[in-house]
Amino acid sequence: MSISYQVRRFFPLFLVATCILAVAWVISFGTLPKADFAFANGDQIKTVDPAKATGAPEGRIINALFEGLLRQLPVDQPPDQTGSIPLKPTTRGVAESYTVSEDGLTYTFLLRETAAWSNGRRLTADDFVWSWRRTLHPETGSKYSYQLYYIQGAQAYNESRLEVDQPVEIELDDRRPHPSGQNQLFPRGTMLYGLLREIRDVATVTTSDSAQGGTEETTASGPRQIYVVDVKPTENGRVQWNVPGRLQAFSPHPELAKTTAGEAVQRVHHVLPDFSRTVHIRAPNPQTLVVTLNNRTPFFPDLVAFYPLYPVCRECVETHGTPAWTLPENLVSNGPYQLEFRRIRDRVRLKKSQTYWDAANVELETIDAMAVKSETTSLNMFMNGQLDWATTVPNPVIPELMKRNDFLSAPMLTVYFYRLNVDRPPLDKAFVREALNLAIDKRRIVEKVTSAGQQPAQSFVPPGIRGYRSAFCGEYNPARARKLLAEAGFPNGSGIPKIQIVYNTSEAHRDIAQVISEDWNVNLGIQTELRNLEWGTFLDTLSEGDYMVARSGWIGDYPDPNTFLDMFVTDGANNETNWSNVRYDELIQAAQAETDPAARMEILHQAERVLMQELPIVPIYFYVSINMVNPQIKGFSANIQDIHPLHILSRQK
Amino acid sequence: MIGFLLKRLGWMALTLWVVFTTSFFLMRAVPGGPFDSEKKLPAAIKRNIEKRYQMDRPLIQQYWNHLWATMRCDFGPSYKLEDYTVNDVIAQGFPVSASLGILAMTFALSLGLVSGVVSAVLRNSVYDVGFMVAATIGIAVPNFVLASLMIVLFVFFWPVFPAAGWGELRQIILPALCLGAPFAGYISRLTRTGMLEVLGLDYIRTAYAKGLTTREVVIRHALRGAILPVVSYLGPATAGILTGSLVLEQIFALPGMGSHFIEAATQRDYTLAMGMVMVYTFLLFVMNTLVDLSYSMIDPRVEVE
Amino acid sequence: MVAPDSHHDQTPAGAPRLTGNPAQPTRKIRDLDAYVGYIEEASRQQGISHWQDARRRLKKNPVAMVSLCYLVGVSVVALLTPLLPLQSPQSIGISSSPQSQDRKLQAPSWEKVNFDLEKPLAVYDQRIARLRQQIAESRGAEQTELQQQLQVLEKSHPFLKLWNEPGVITRGMIRCRLALFGDKCIPSICGTDILGRDVLSRVLWGSRVSLAVGLVATLVSLMIGVTYGAISGYLGGWVDALMMRIVDVIYSVPFIFVVIFLITILNEDSIRSRLDKYGVDQIMIFFLVIGALYWLTMARVVRGQVLSLKNEAFIDAARTIGASRWRIIQRHLLPNVMGIVIVYLTLTIPAVMRFEAFLSFLGLGVSPPDVSWGLLVNEGLTVITPVKIYYWLVTFSGLALALTLFALSFLGDGLRDALDPRMKNRD
Repeated sequence: MSISYQVRRFFPLFLVATCILAVAWVISFGTLPKADFAFANGDQIKTVDPAKATGAPEGRIINALFEGLLRQLPVDQPPDQTGSIPLKPTTRGVAESYTVSEDGLTYTFLLRETAAWSNGRRLTADDFVWSWRRTLHPETGSKYSYQLYYIQGAQAYNESRLEVDQPVEIELDDRRPHPSGQNQLFPRGTMLYGLLREIRDVATVTTSDSAQGGTEETTASGPRQIYVVDVKPTENGRVQWNVPGRLQAFSPHPELAKTTAGEAVQRVHHVLPDFSRTVHIRAPNPQTLVVTLNNRTPFFPDLVAFYPLYPVCRECVETHGTPAWTLPENLVSNGPYQLEFRRIRDRVRLKKSQTYWDAANVELETIDAMAVKSETTSLNMFMNGQLDWATTVPNPVIPELMKRNDFLSAPMLTVYFYRLNVDRPPLDKAFVREALNLAIDKRRIVEKVTSAGQQPAQSFVPPGIRGYRSAFCGEYNPARARKLLAEAGFPNGSGIPKIQIVYNTSEAHRDIAQVISEDWNVNLGIQTELRNLEWGTFLDTLSEGDYMVARSGWIGDYPDPNTFLDMFVTDGANNETNWSNVRYDELIQAAQAETDPAARMEILHQAERVLMQELPIVPIYFYVSINMVNPQIKGFSANIQDIHPLHILSRQK
Repeated sequence: MIGFLLKRLGWMALTLWVVFTTSFFLMRAVPGGPFDSEKKLPAAIKRNIEKRYQMDRPLIQQYWNHLWATMRCDFGPSYKLEDYTVNDVIAQGFPVSASLGILAMTFALSLGLVSGVVSAVLRNSVYDVGFMVAATIGIAVPNFVLASLMIVLFVFFWPVFPAAGWGELRQIILPALCLGAPFAGYISRLTRTGMLEVLGLDYIRTAYAKGLTTREVVIRHALRGAILPVVSYLGPATAGILTGSLVLEQIFALPGMGSHFIEAATQRDYTLAMGMVMVYTFLLFVMNTLVDLSYSMIDPRVEVE
Repeated sequence: MVAPDSHHDQTPAGAPRLTGNPAQPTRKIRDLDAYVGYIEEASRQQGISHWQDARRRLKKNPVAMVSLCYLVGVSVVALLTPLLPLQSPQSIGISSSPQSQDRKLQAPSWEKVNFDLEKPLAVYDQRIARLRQQIAESRGAEQTELQQQLQVLEKSHPFLKLWNEPGVITRGMIRCRLALFGDKCIPSICGTDILGRDVLSRVLWGSRVSLAVGLVATLVSLMIGVTYGAISGYLGGWVDALMMRIVDVIYSVPFIFVVIFLITILNEDSIRSRLDKYGVDQIMIFFLVIGALYWLTMARVVRGQVLSLKNEAFIDAARTIGASRWRIIQRHLLPNVMGIVIVYLTLTIPAVMRFEAFLSFLGLGVSPPDVSWGLLVNEGLTVITPVKIYYWLVTFSGLALALTLFALSFLGDGLRDALDPRMKNRD
C-alpha cells in the first residue's frame, strides 16, 4: 500500500520529468549546418539514375552528380536583351576534345585522363559503352533510350529486332538472385553468342494454364518464337566468330521451351542483336570512344551533353543492384558533386567531389536541393532567405515580382499543351479535336492567368530555333469551333460526355484548366470535370493512357524541332496520346535521313503541319523561364533550355 | 496491472489485425493492382517487380506472407518511392513528427493548464474572459487558417521564424504552436471547469481553514482533482495531434509522417499508406494505454480494469 | 453526463392505450378507473415539461441564441442562394480583349457589375417554345428529328454557362430570382479571385456544399449510431458485449487515416466509373464514408443512455402491458435519448465540416467546378505571400467557416447546459 502510495505521490513528478526529457530529446536534434547554396527543386525526385530519370528536378541533381562527354555551359558572351545567354555543348566534360568525320557520321571522343569516379577509379571509354548498353537494354526500361537511336544498331538492340544471319547475344535463364536481395535489372545470366540462323514463329500452340500463374502472365512472358542459333565457342572470354559453332534452339517463352519435343529448346531471358558487333559504340582504347550514327545528326553533341547519355559506374551498379546503387552510401558518380544524403521530401544534400577533374573551379562546397512542392512555400522561403534560387512562384504575384531585380525571366524552349487521348470518343474525331483547339482563348490565359510574358501557342514547336518555321493550328475562333463540332455530329456539344481534364497538382495548372473548361463550356457547350493528381501518379496515368485530356509540358532537350516532333511517332515512348499517323512517321524518318539542313527543316515543318491538322495535342502557350535568384549568386544566367549548371555558380562575399 | 497491460496488448493485436486485413483486401480490390501504371514495362521487368512485391503468388498466400512480415515490423518496399522501403520512410519521418507532436503537446499542456487555473481562480476577471475567448478561438478556427495567420505575423511582418522546412529547432516552433493551439484551448476550458468544481468542495475549504495560501491550496490540493478530466482528455488529444500534423506538415513543408502519409494516399502508394495506418494505430493505442495508466496513478479511486 | 430523463414518457400518452386495450382482463376495472383518474389529475397538474424547461434555459443563454440565429440564417441563405441576386460563381471575369473590363483579383468594391441574363434567357425560351410547338404539330420522322433538335438546343441553356449543372429546383429558383431582381446583382463586395470570379457568390455557393456535407454526413452517422447504440443497449447481454467490442476496436483506429485511405481507393478511376453508374459521385462518397465512420461516439452514448433507461419503472410498465420490443425502443427509449443525441449532433457537425475543409485543403475533397469553404480557404492561402496579400480571398471564406464552427460549438455547449437537469433552477 505504501509503495503504491509512494508511486502515486511521485507520479506527477515523473510525468513532468518525462515531458522535460522528451523536449530535451527534440532539442537535441543536431541542427543541420546550412548549405552554401539552397534551391527549391520542385517535387520529391524519383531517382538519380540517369537511365531512369525523365523530369527536370531529377535533371538538376543528375547534372551535378554525373557528367557526360560534353557539358552544356553558357557561351562566353554578354546576355541579350532578355538577360539570356545561350548554352552550348562544350568540351568541359569528360571528353577533352572530339572530332567529326567528313560525312558527319562518325564522332571520335578523346577522354580526359583526369576524369575519375568518386571511388578513385579512372573513367574510361568502356564505362560509356557499358552505360549506354545498359540504357539500351530492354530490361532497363529507360524512357529516354530513344535518345541513343541515332547510333547505328541502337534502336534494333533496344527493340530486340532480329534478322537472320545476324550476330546475336543470348542470356540464358539461369540467373542467380542478386546477393544483396536487390532487383538488379541488368543481365546476369550466362551469355552465349552466335549467328542467328532461323526464327520460327510458333503462333498457335494450345496452352494449358501453367500451375503458378494465370494466362496473362504467361502470354506476357515473351514472344512465341523459337530462335535457332549457331552458337560460337568462347575462349578466354573472346568469342571465336570464325570457328564453326553448334546449332541450338532457344525461346524466351516458357512453354515453348518446355513443350516442344524432339528438339531441345532452351529457355532464355533474351535474344538480342549482339551489342559489340551490331551497335556502333566502340572503345578502341580506354581513352577513345568512337560512335557511328545512322544519319548526319547536327544536334548529336547536344544529346551527348544530356543526362540520359551520362555514364554510370559499372561496379557500383553490379555490386549493389538496382535501385540500391543510387543510395547515398553506395553511389559512385563522376560529376562535380557527390551525394551526401537524401531525405525523403526534405532535401538532397550535395557535397563537392574531390575526385572531379575540375574540382579546383567548383566554388560551392555544399548544395541543398529542397523538395518544395508548393509554389507559395517556395516563394516564402526565398523571401525569407532560406533559398537562394526559387524555380517556381505563384502566378498571382508574378506581376509584382517582375518589378524586382532578383526575378529572372526569359523565353524558353518549352511548350505547355493538352494531350487528347484519341482512343477515347469523341476525341477520336479530328474535327472535335480541332474544335477544342479553336475554342480556347489562349491569349486570355497568357495575359491574365500566367501573365509573365508567355506567348500563346498556335504551333507545337516554340519559336526561336534558327532556320525553322513553325506550323500553324489556327487562332481563337469560337464560331468556327462550333461549326466543326456540329459537322462532327455534336451540335452544341450534345452527345459529348463530360470531359475530364487531368493535371498534376499545382495552382497554376488548376487555374488554366478552369479557364479552358469555361471556354469549352461557353463556346462549345461541353461540360468538363477537373482532376488533380500528384506528379508520380500523373506520369503513370499518362503513360498508361488512362485519361481523356491531360495537361502536359515539354522542355526541348536540345535546340532543334526534332526534340518536339519525334515524340509523336507511332508508339513513341512519350507520345502517350495513342495517336498514330503513317505520313507523320515517314516525315520524321525522312528528316533524320536528310543531310541538307534547310531541306531537313522543311521536312520537319511538313511533319508539324500534319500534327497541327490532326491535333492529338492542343498547344496552349510557350513558357518563359521563371527564376528568382539571390543577387549574391554569380554565374547564373537565363537560357532557353532553362538549364542551370550548379558547379559554375559562386557566392559573392 | 500486468493483467490490464496484457489485456490491452491483446486488444491492440486484434485491432491491428483488423486494420491490416481490411486494408490488405481493400488494396487488392483496386483493379489491376498497384502496377497498372507499369503496363508498358517489358514482361521480364514486370515479373521481377511482381516477384519483389510478391504479387505472383495466390492471394491468400500473399496475405499470410504479408501478415507475417508485418508482424516482424517489415512493411515491405514502397510502391512509389522506388528507392525506399516503407520502414525507411517511417524511420525518416517519425523523428520529425514526434518532435512536432511532443512540442505541440507540451505547449498545449503548459498553456492550457496555466490559463485554466488562472481563469478559475480569478473567475470573471478580465483574464478569465480573455483566456476563454482565446480558447474558443483556438478551438473553432481550423488549424490551417491559424497557420497562415501565424505565417503572416511571424514570418513576414515580424520575421522571427523561418517560413518552412526542417533541420533546426526554430523551424518547428511555429508549426508546434499552431498544432497545439486547439488542444491548449480545450485543456484550458477543462481545467477551468474542473477547478471551479473542486474549489467548491469541502476539503478545499478545510485547506483554506488550515491557513494555507491560495497558491498552496491550488497547487497542492485543487489541481490534483481538477486535472483528472485533462488527463482523460489526453487520449483524444493525442489522436487529434496526430491528425492535425497532417495539415501542418504540409503547410510548413516538414518531411514528417503526416506529409508522407498524405503523399502516399494521393499517389496511391498503398503499401506505404497501409504501413502508416498501422503505425498510427499502434501509436494511438500506446498513448491511450499510457493515459489510462496515468489516470489510475493520479486518481486513487480509479483502478485499471 | 446528462441524467436519464425519465419524466418524459410518463405523460398521459400511455393511458388511453391502457384503457383502450381490448386484450386487458376486465377484473381490475375498478383499479383501472382509479388509475385513469390519477392520470387525468396528473395531466391537469402537469407543469413545465423537460423540453419546455430546456427551451427556457436555452433562451436565457444569449451566446447560444445568437449562435442559433446565425446558424439558421446561414442555412436559409445557403438554401436560397440561387434566389439571391448574386454573380455567377464560375463565370470567369477575365478576358483577352483589351476593351473589356478586367476583373482579376479586384479588391472589395461597390462598383456596379453587369449581369446580362434576362435577354439571352428570353431568346432561349422563345426558341424552345417555338420548337416545342413545332414538335406538337409535327409527326413521325420529322417529330423525332425536331426532338433531337430540342435536345441540342437545351444544351445551350444560358444557365449552363453560369452555374455548374443546375438541377430542376435550382433552375426554378434562378428564374424566380430573375423575375424578382432582373439583371440587377450584388457588386463584388468581397472582391474577386485570380480568375475574376466573385468571391461573395463563391462563398455562398460553397456554403451549400459545406453545410450539406456537415448535415448529411452527420445524419448518416446519426442513423447508424442511434440504431446501433439502441439495439446494443436494449438487447444487452452478449450481443451488447460483442457490439461494444466491435465499436472499441474501430474506435482505436485513427480513422482520419482510414477515411483518407478509403477515399483514395474509392476515387481510383476504375472503381469510380463503376460507382458513377449508380449515380454515386465524389461528394456522395464523402457523405457515406464520413457518416459511416463518425457514428461510434453516438452509438456509445446512446447505448449508455438506453442501458440506464431500460431498467426504469416506465419501461417496465410498458413491458408489462405487452408493448413489443421495437415499440419500446421506438416510443419510449429513443425520445428519451433525443436530448443527448442533439448535443452530440451539434458536436459532430462541426467536426465533419472541419474534416471536409481539411480534406479539400489536402486536395482530396471536392474538386472544381464544385466549390466548398475548405477549397476556397485553400485557394486563398496559396496567394498569401510576402509580396502581396490578397486578404479578401482568405478572409471571407475563412470567416464563414470559422464563424459557423464557432456557432455550432457555442450552440452545442448551450444545448448541453440546457438539457442537463442538474442545471434546472440554476443560472
